[in-house]
Amino acid sequence: MTTQLTQSQLDDLARDLDAIRDEVRADLGERDARYIRRIIRLHRTLEIGGRVLMPFGFIPPVFVAGVASLGVAKIIENMEIGHNVMHGQYDWMNDPSLHSQTYEWDTVCTGDSWRQTHNYEHHTYTNVIGKDRDYGYAVLRLSDDEKWKPWHLLQFINYLMLTVFFQWGVGLHELESERIRRREIKLSDKKAFLRDFFRKGGRQAFKDYVFFPALTFPVFPIVLAGNVCANLVRNLWSSTVIFCGHFTEDAETFSEASIENESRGQWYLRQLTGSSNFTGGKWVHILSGHLSHQIEHHVFPDIPAHRYREIAPRVEAVCRKYGLKYNTGSFGKQYWTVLKRIAHYSLPDRVRVKLEAQAV
Amino acid sequence: MLSTIRSQGALHWLGRQLFNRDDPGAFFDPLLAVLNPMWVRGFVPARLLDVIDETADTRTFRLRPSARWQGFRAGQHVNVIVDVDGVRQHRTFTISSAPSQWRTDGTLTLTVKRHPGGHVTHWMHDHLRPGTILGISQAFGEFDLPPSGQPKPLLYIMGGSGVTPALSHLVSLAERDYRAPVTLLYYVRTQADVIGAETLYALAARWPALSLHVFATEEQGEAALLNEQHLDAVPGFAARDAYLCGPPGLMDRANALLARYGVQEEQIRCTFFSAPTAVAADTPLGGAVTFARSDIHVDSDGDAPLLEIAEAAELNPAYGCRMGICHQCSCRKTEGTVVNRLTGKASGPGEETIQLCISVPQGPVTVDL
Ligand code: FES
Repeated sequence: MTTQLTQSQLDDLARDLDAIRDEVRADLGERDARYIRRIIRLHRTLEIGGRVLMPFGFIPPVFVAGVASLGVAKIIENMEIGHNVMHGQYDWMNDPSLHSQTYEWDTVCTGDSWRQTHNYEHHTYTNVIGKDRDYGYAVLRLSDDEKWKPWHLLQFINYLMLTVFFQWGVGLHELESERIRRREIKLSDKKAFLRDFFRKGGRQAFKDYVFFPALTFPVFPIVLAGNVCANLVRNLWSSTVIFCGHFTEDAETFSEASIENESRGQWYLRQLTGSSNFTGGKWVHILSGHLSHQIEHHVFPDIPAHRYREIAPRVEAVCRKYGLKYNTGSFGKQYWTVLKRIAHYSLPDRVRVKLEAQAV
Repeated sequence: MLSTIRSQGALHWLGRQLFNRDDPGAFFDPLLAVLNPMWVRGFVPARLLDVIDETADTRTFRLRPSARWQGFRAGQHVNVIVDVDGVRQHRTFTISSAPSQWRTDGTLTLTVKRHPGGHVTHWMHDHLRPGTILGISQAFGEFDLPPSGQPKPLLYIMGGSGVTPALSHLVSLAERDYRAPVTLLYYVRTQADVIGAETLYALAARWPALSLHVFATEEQGEAALLNEQHLDAVPGFAARDAYLCGPPGLMDRANALLARYGVQEEQIRCTFFSAPTAVAADTPLGGAVTFARSDIHVDSDGDAPLLEIAEAAELNPAYGCRMGICHQCSCRKTEGTVVNRLTGKASGPGEETIQLCISVPQGPVTVDL
């Protein structure tokens, strides 16, 4: 199913995309700094607002406002600030609080673990089955590259669990529990990781489930419930955005053999065809950390994300030039194809193929 | 380094838990910077009170830092922190005022020359206006006055904008009513380039211990370059403690001359900060690489990236993709120019974050590794 281009086409593709990247890089400056600082101010305001409103949550509308404020704050911090800062999008600003290698975000997963599993593994080996462990997060079967097993029938439940507890799932991702199960590695190999995981996870749980509730003692059940809801809102949204980025119907997958001695052009091609976008208004883009422009993000992971919107038409034009599919659609449509994909691949291949044949 | 949050035990621990950062106080900075920039915690904010023209290309900036600033000794420096086109820049300047001024009215002055090709000093001249808030670090440096007690005769050899620490020193000495002779040999291009002229001439007029000699190298020619006669004219100079500050040419000359006259190294103190200068565009790739933290020096040639150079030197820097995507290998370059393999562009010469796997040295480079 992989798209074929000749070597010289691939070289041209790399040249075209490099030109876009170089142009944006050369233009980075004041405007980008002002943008991210404004977003950070918004995050701080919403976070403070949420924490202040929460104890007054015995008034129902205030509860909703508090949850929305804190939930959106967490979403913005994780998606538009944390994720993007850790990609090195703002390293050029030379601001120690926006440095890719030291930033620590407001979620269970430690920055270091994320930098390893996401920035390196996922972005280097995007959609390479067996190498990109983000592909299905090792709990979902999303292509026939993986052999069907009976428990896959229940993978929709797995999916629901994953999306509800997304921050914990992402936090534990580096544990590689599937490899431990297969006895390829031992639990004790992961001691250092587990120590960091418990420290960070503990810190997050302490803050939202102990400290702030205790601080507002008489109304602690309300604050506790509000914080749980805010985290849930963030989990649902961020997992949905991420699923829409790679697991849509037409997002391609690759084999390990196909990426040996990969050229830059091939790498670009893999990023273009392995990712998918969704459309929406300005705030949909901001709240998704511009992962609504997953394609642009995968081609240029370290360019400030708010630029993706501006260069999208040019990336799309490049795709057209080489006859590549620029996978985009409305949020609802893309998400629907994700759900379909999860459901389809939960079935044994014979059944799935027959069903697909009937649908055509 | 710049964070002024000291660990205050429990409170600091709590802050770390809540804000996921080692400098929890700075969490609110983005809001404080708008409400009142003088409340920012990430660095010491300082308000610019006025800008004084010294010469055609040199200005003095008078600042009042916030109460968290801890003061300084004459001859010390601060890092100035400014955002230029969205990029945070740090530059070191010597404080040109005396500590007594800070103690009386809470202000200090920095005297800044437009550095040829120096992006930041030009920006400071063009953009800093009274009322602006900029950041400074705590003071540092060891270019100290002689301890009080038995006053020793002193010799200052200064060039151009290198005179700034001497301004602070001399004012402080005059306040102490320093009795032993003090001589300043000051080398400038023309008389119009004398920095702190008012202060210097006023000091010379009312403080008998000071003798001031200004040499204008462009106006007076060869004879105005530091030479034996200049030293011979200073009574008993070989027994004096010497303070040197100026461009590298002058420093070399002064050191060589003093050594020839048998002045001991312990008697000499040097200091100088100049803005880092970019290498010429046609400098070949490769160069001497210093890994500062591990104190390893190696040579590189051709287009070997720093990651490979570091690994060849048996260092183990973090890395991931080795193709410039993941930023796992990002680290601080403190000096020198590197060329980005992906874009073919050369970096600036100053301190900044680079990706080791795609950065090729162009001339000598120092990396914090
Ligand atoms: S190792 Fe991935 S950017 Fe250098």
